[in-house]
Amino acid sequence: MGGGSLTMSGTMRVGRQTAIRVFAHEYRDASLPDQGSGEYDPGYMVTRLGAKINRALICGLIDSSEKRESDSGQSYRFNLRDVTGIHRVEVSPFNPELHPEAEEIHARFERGDRFLMMVVAKQRSFQTEDGGVFTSYNAQEMTVIDKPRYAEWLAETAEATLRRINAHELAMAAEQSMAGFRSAGVPEDLIDGMLLSRAHYPPFETEVYMLDVLQALNAALGRSVEIVKPESADESEPDSTVPDQPVEAPSPATSDMSVEEVVVATIAAGDRGEGVDYDAIVRQCSVHGHSREEAEDAIDSLRADGGQISEHRFGWFRLIQSDSS
Amino acid sequence: MSEDKYDTEVRLVLQECKDANPEEVAKEFERYENEFLIPPRDALRSVVRKFMEPGSDADKTVRAPAPSVKKASKFSELGSNDRNVTIEVLVVSYNSRAQQVRGEERQIGFGFIEDSPWDGDRQRWEFKDWGNKSQDLAAGSVVRLDGVSVNEWNDKKSININQTSRVSVLKEGGAPTLAPTNEPVTIEDASRGEGTVAIVARVLAVRPDQIVRRDGSGSIDVMRGRLGDQTGTMGFLSWKTLDISEGDLVKIENAQVKRFRDTPEINIGDFTKIEPYHDGAFPEAETLQANSSCTIKDLRDGMRDVEIILQVVDWNSRSFTSKTGEERVVRSGEVQDPSGRCRLTSWGEVDIEAGSFIRIKRARVQAWQGSPDLVIDQLDQVEILTEAPFGPIDASNHWVEEDLDDLTSGGSRRGISTTGRIVSLRSDSGIILRCTQEGCRRVLRDGVCGVHGEDVGEEDLRMMMVVDSGVSNASLLVSRAPTEALIGMNLDDVRKEISSNGKEAFHSSLKDRFLGHRVRVMGRSINDDRGCMIQADEVQIMEVDPEGIAKAAIDRWGVVL
Repeated sequence: MGGGSLTMSGTMRVGRQTAIRVFAHEYRDASLPDQGSGEYDPGYMVTRLGAKINRALICGLIDSSEKRESDSGQSYRFNLRDVTGIHRVEVSPFNPELHPEAEEIHARFERGDRFLMMVVAKQRSFQTEDGGVFTSYNAQEMTVIDKPRYAEWLAETAEATLRRINAHELAMAAEQSMAGFRSAGVPEDLIDGMLLSRAHYPPFETEVYMLDVLQALNAALGRSVEIVKPESADESEPDSTVPDQPVEAPSPATSDMSVEEVVVATIAAGDRGEGVDYDAIVRQCSVHGHSREEAEDAIDSLRADGGQISEHRFGWFRLIQSDSS
Repeated sequence: MSEDKYDTEVRLVLQECKDANPEEVAKEFERYENEFLIPPRDALRSVVRKFMEPGSDADKTVRAPAPSVKKASKFSELGSNDRNVTIEVLVVSYNSRAQQVRGEERQIGFGFIEDSPWDGDRQRWEFKDWGNKSQDLAAGSVVRLDGVSVNEWNDKKSININQTSRVSVLKEGGAPTLAPTNEPVTIEDASRGEGTVAIVARVLAVRPDQIVRRDGSGSIDVMRGRLGDQTGTMGFLSWKTLDISEGDLVKIENAQVKRFRDTPEINIGDFTKIEPYHDGAFPEAETLQANSSCTIKDLRDGMRDVEIILQVVDWNSRSFTSKTGEERVVRSGEVQDPSGRCRLTSWGEVDIEAGSFIRIKRARVQAWQGSPDLVIDQLDQVEILTEAPFGPIDASNHWVEEDLDDLTSGGSRRGISTTGRIVSLRSDSGIILRCTQEGCRRVLRDGVCGVHGEDVGEEDLRMMMVVDSGVSNASLLVSRAPTEALIGMNLDDVRKEISSNGKEAFHSSLKDRFLGHRVRVMGRSINDDRGCMIQADEVQIMEVDPEGIAKAAIDRWGVVL
């Protein structure tokens, strides 16, 4: 019937998506893509804290830079490290307006220059056949920033994360419905994401994200950015064993192997044709007493310099010599 | 080693993987916890995946589909005997009425739904809601219905939403439908959505009125007025004659809240019951009147019976010839209060001096170019105040500080100041050409005006940006004068810069200077269904202040570092 389409355009028009402030850790933990079924519906990545991310504002130190050629054209990949982990940012072949800037950034990185960047980006994710979800970003705007502005982003993102932690706690105590969350005081912009998060993720402790916040606030206030030891960070956190947190866990097994050896051994043992996923490698490294940062560094360096491992698909690794398929 | 430790998790896994051995599952959890340092809760999904039968989809959630579910995407696929149907629909309307069901009074919802909500070609059916699902069936929302049935009567099929049916909102609609209830709600709650309500309120104003039919076939006698309680006031429109007068306390049942433009209004119809109500503690009309007087920031398009105190900034009159050839005079001017600025238009012979304070009553609000403006029709609606109700306001520098999130969710406003971060700078920022035809200032595209065709064009300077708070965002339009002030260059400087370095270089220099910076913006905001736009009179780059932001966050959330 004719009237319907009017109703549609009247109520379902979506304005510009707000750039969510989010740390690398919270985004990397996310595994819930939410793509509306309409043709022009924006796609989202829903984090455990209920952020519904279509667009994000992220910052960090440039940690790796790659230039790629593929059938669809040239693209760039940057890793930006914030206090909680790594943002993976791609400048796609379909975004040629950004290529001059990306080229410039890549060249600076190649020269050995390290600098802070701010990126406005769209979420993207990739799902493996067994249900693993890997998150990254497509850059829309990029600019090199100075330390004070990075500190400002840290503070702003800490605030945004605190707001989500608080909303998550309100939601946990409320009836699981739109009306229930609303009357519990969950902010309007978080209700939808919080409902999706509650339905998808198993229960989790928000402390891991609280540690991100504390580190970021300390950094923004110019205090020591030393990683807080879990004992001193929060005594009421017996189950701080979640491997995804940026805290260096007390080594359960002292390092009998170097971190590079663990990475290679893990891939060799775990590869059944598809490769081994990133998180599994990092997890295995933590079992051997290596921190997440060390594991990430090792993976990056093995991939870039030694050429011992390859990332044939985003987030999936193989040993070069065993790669015959 | 107690296996019981993982009981809860093991049970969850067994729900999903019926054939798994509980002991093996428990062992797996133990291994995850001890070897991989993953607590059982976090390991749940991985363990489920491991014990899943090959071929079954591990990512499906714990709910096995009920037997014989009929999944349909179009109404045309449904037969009159179909039960337990799953379909996604667009809710076109939702109404409700009380109905006797087996001797019991129940609220029954009904309205229209359309199939294929995500594309254009849709069929419309009626539905009935027997399950009190009004909360999730707001008009305009897209929902998935599970476990609904088809009803056929007189060769016409419709959908029954039953008490056991499930409604999942896929996309929220406009104003939420109010949960129908005979329990009176407050005016504040009633104004949140649309639907059937009962309220207890005092009559603050009532008068007969007429609605003239558009087609010229006559007019309808109605009554209009205003109701109030402790939480606020709302206008009403009655289609029948009411025996009530100002000051009465009444209980109204089965009235409909509907929206006229942006303003909710209580509709009183044939089925509405109104009776006197007794409550000695209910505030008197004068108290409610005093509370109900509103401020400029509360104004919304379509409001009536507005009482407001203002200071006049300027006042002019102009005459024009109406369509019927009559000479008419209209007076108007800028007015302000501590919450902002707007325009006041009077069709009556109201002469006021700039600077004076006035109280106006029964004013209407009409949007003009997106901003809500006040309109009065008669002289007696204005009262000149001898004492200043609020301190002096410097009209030349009167900016009301507003949070960007409040601005984007409220009505259109003038005279506001807000802050946010620049997250985008559009490539058509800089020099543009405008159409030179009389009364047209459209931006030319490749030398062509959308209305007047080819034009030589006149140069102008502007910036188009997006300002973003992390919760909401607005387009930011900066015209020539504020742009020149912001970038410290005038049109000539920009022209020279572009001719020596090129447009690209100029644009990227703007990006370097502004992208990612926090700004304070002063101007007016216009909200419509495309979002919020701020027309800036002034833009200032804010000082970088990480400590300030961090400390504010620490204070707000009580963080202990």
